[in-house]
Amino acid sequence: MIRRPNQNRSIILLVSPAFVFVLVFFVLPLIFLLSQSVLPEDGGITLTGYVDFFQSRVSRIVYLRTLKLGLIVTVICVLMSYPAAFVLARMPARRRSFLMSLVILPLMTNAVARTFAWLIILGRRGMLNQTLLSLELVETPVRFIFTETAIVLGLTQLFLPLMVLPLVSAMENIPDDVLEAARSLGANRLTTFRRIVVPLSSDGLVLGATLVFTGSVTAFVTPAILGGARLLLMSTLLRQEAVIIFDQQAAAVVATVMIFTTLAVNLLLRVLRVRQV
Amino acid sequence: MISRWMYISLVILYGFLLGPFVIIFMASFGANANLAFPPQGFTLDWFANVFETSQFVDSFWISLQLALLSTIVSLVMGIPVAYALTRFQFAASGLVETVFSAPILVPGLVIGFAMLNFFVLLGDMGVMTGLFIGHTAILFPYSVRVVSASLRNLDPYVEDAAVSLGANRLRGFLLVVLPNMQAGIAAAFVLGFITSFNNVPVSLFLSGPGVTTLPVSMLSYLEYYFDPTIAALSTLLVIFTVVLVQTAERVLGLSQFV
Amino acid sequence: MPHLEIHNLTVSYDKDQPALAQFRLDVEPGELVSLLGPSGCGKTTTLRSVAGFIQPDAGRIVINGRDYTHLPPNQRDIGLVFQSYALFPHLTVFQNVAFGLRMRRVPKAEVNTRVANALKMVGLEAFANRRPAQLSGGQQQRVALARATVIEPQVLLLDEPLSNLDARLRVDMRQEIRRAQQQLGITTLYVTHDQVEAMSISDRVVVMNQGKIEQIGSPERIFAAPETVFVADFMGFDNRFNAAVESVQADKLTVNWGGAPTELRWHSRFGSPCPGAKAEVFFRADNASLSSSSDASGLAGQVILHTFHGNEVQYLVETQVGEFSIMQDSAGERFENGAAVTVQAQTQKWIAIVE
Repeated sequence: MIRRPNQNRSIILLVSPAFVFVLVFFVLPLIFLLSQSVLPEDGGITLTGYVDFFQSRVSRIVYLRTLKLGLIVTVICVLMSYPAAFVLARMPARRRSFLMSLVILPLMTNAVARTFAWLIILGRRGMLNQTLLSLELVETPVRFIFTETAIVLGLTQLFLPLMVLPLVSAMENIPDDVLEAARSLGANRLTTFRRIVVPLSSDGLVLGATLVFTGSVTAFVTPAILGGARLLLMSTLLRQEAVIIFDQQAAAVVATVMIFTTLAVNLLLRVLRVRQV
Repeated sequence: MISRWMYISLVILYGFLLGPFVIIFMASFGANANLAFPPQGFTLDWFANVFETSQFVDSFWISLQLALLSTIVSLVMGIPVAYALTRFQFAASGLVETVFSAPILVPGLVIGFAMLNFFVLLGDMGVMTGLFIGHTAILFPYSVRVVSASLRNLDPYVEDAAVSLGANRLRGFLLVVLPNMQAGIAAAFVLGFITSFNNVPVSLFLSGPGVTTLPVSMLSYLEYYFDPTIAALSTLLVIFTVVLVQTAERVLGLSQFV
Repeated sequence: MPHLEIHNLTVSYDKDQPALAQFRLDVEPGELVSLLGPSGCGKTTTLRSVAGFIQPDAGRIVINGRDYTHLPPNQRDIGLVFQSYALFPHLTVFQNVAFGLRMRRVPKAEVNTRVANALKMVGLEAFANRRPAQLSGGQQQRVALARATVIEPQVLLLDEPLSNLDARLRVDMRQEIRRAQQQLGITTLYVTHDQVEAMSISDRVVVMNQGKIEQIGSPERIFAAPETVFVADFMGFDNRFNAAVESVQADKLTVNWGGAPTELRWHSRFGSPCPGAKAEVFFRADNASLSSSSDASGLAGQVILHTFHGNEVQYLVETQVGEFSIMQDSAGERFENGAAVTVQAQTQKWIAIVE
């Protein structure tokens, strides 16, 4: 980094086109959205939109369900990724980079395609029901679609890479010496994992958890396909308020609650990360 | 340090990550229209159906144009920002970084909704223009971050070296900095393209009659039909992505920037 | 006439603390002058101002009689060797060295011969088609030197060119840079924080601290006769103690050393000091010797620690004046820890500084 006298003009010149773009087309719409949620059509400032949101049984259930499913997805992602990430991080570089590209691949395929697979697995005549029927565990097909389990499965599959990637890159940075030192000092495998690997990879864990949780509570495609109108989450509720019920203020309130939820989670976990350092 | 059950966890992870792709792949060749599993028979009809469904073909072209345009524009405006952030020390750099990473922090669906309302306020803006603005805004974080990463790997003094040898600032940038940013720019391009091409949440509200992106039209197709056409289309898209990503990985080492 | 003149150069990044204040220096044609000091002393700022990357708040830079102060850096005709070498990673060694000539639109044939000569000078003819990443640190350094000199610049500037090399290579490269510089007869400014490097390579050394010049002089003079406490400290005078000035003559002053009046060379920035003024006395570890306490006059002390260095033994000796580090020939008389000794001063090499 170089500090030059008289650099301000260059900086302004470099930054301003994109900065103005983001300001006008991103920040302003958000401010407008915020104002929509508190300014009713008949004038004045009112928080009734928010009061209604939190007093309504339906929206409260939707909000809590969204948070609950997000939490479950995050926990499952952690449990599935942690040991696997450790194995990945200790692999020879060539094999690791191949396996990591397989982790990235799902991330680069669109969510509709990835969620569609769950319709085939969980559908009335899907893989799971066919298996259950042929094993005579059930007599009639079980309804799996439009359940919370389906949404959790879909979201987990969707966001798993976002947990694996930061975990692997955090664990890659733990030198072998450190693990050997712990073993030589008398720690068994589990203790070494618990006392050395976990603390040293906590940054990756927190980052991964932030990404997975915020991704899960804001995802649209998966709840739309696997939950539909019967099992609303915040994102599908927002769509319903805006497009079907056509209550723009209610929709703006839902959107604002989504923004503040993700911001709060980001802030909370950032504080957690700073504490640990 | 690594015990057998950890390897088992690896197998489970990959099974879960990639299993759905295997299922889609198999379903796209199955003859039965109701997606019963395992598929019976073998047919390419569903692939033919993809190309015969005008809503897919039209939205594919729209998605392609949109992804190219918004990625290029986000790079053209994002590269100078990355350059300023990595080459100068200035008080507002924290603010600039926050502003350009914000589009990642706000849920895509909310961005699309907010933009739609705002554009209505602005007056009659074309659907394509709206989509273009939305996609460009959400691509800035990727462009700025990936290009910054590649610039941080380049000694900041090479430009001064070029200037001390007689090049002016612009030539120094073009002859020395730009050639060394190629890999980073290309990686940002691939990443941005894929992000835009796959985006649903932002496009959902901004799409309009006749102007729909491919993933959104896939989603609305699912509301009415439940047959392997989507599986066939998904298979095509996976192949398209694998080729794109593997080429990028081979040529550029994409994963170091993700 | 000096080839490079720096007149009252002042540069500030922040309002309150100038990075460089009223810096003056003349460099003769073909002379190599080192700017020596700790990091943040302003030496790199000076260099970057001469190169044109920093626009000074005040002062002038004149090269070969022409005012360079407001000339953009790409029109200055100055060769610059960076601490990080700043080689162009995407270009071959040949293309790196040819870059400056291409910018000057030198005809192709001439470029080829001049680059070949420059590479020959640094012994890298065989590496012309390599990329910088395929070279060792020392080789990269040589490319940087060839690239900066092939344009036959008015002035050559080197910014800590050896700090990224290991100790052995540093000595070799130092000699190589000096040889090339003398062979080309090129006026050179050399920035370093290493006093040994500065002394071994320079015609003159400028010791800098906090944006100001502490002392300018030949390496011999800087080494033997530092004029300020900072320079004495920086030039490796291991031992120092405070003493009151008893009397002052023209070139000597007298202080009390272990009860005996002792005459020392002195220096003060503010003219002749008064009796009673506080002086700081400096001497190097080999400017004193030890003997058994029974014989000879001197300061009584006790050995606290001895460390064997091969040809020499270093003793840490505690006296009533303070703790001193003293080097002795390891072939001579040896003392154990705790031994009572007498410190005998070779006061002709000591120096008293009054500030």
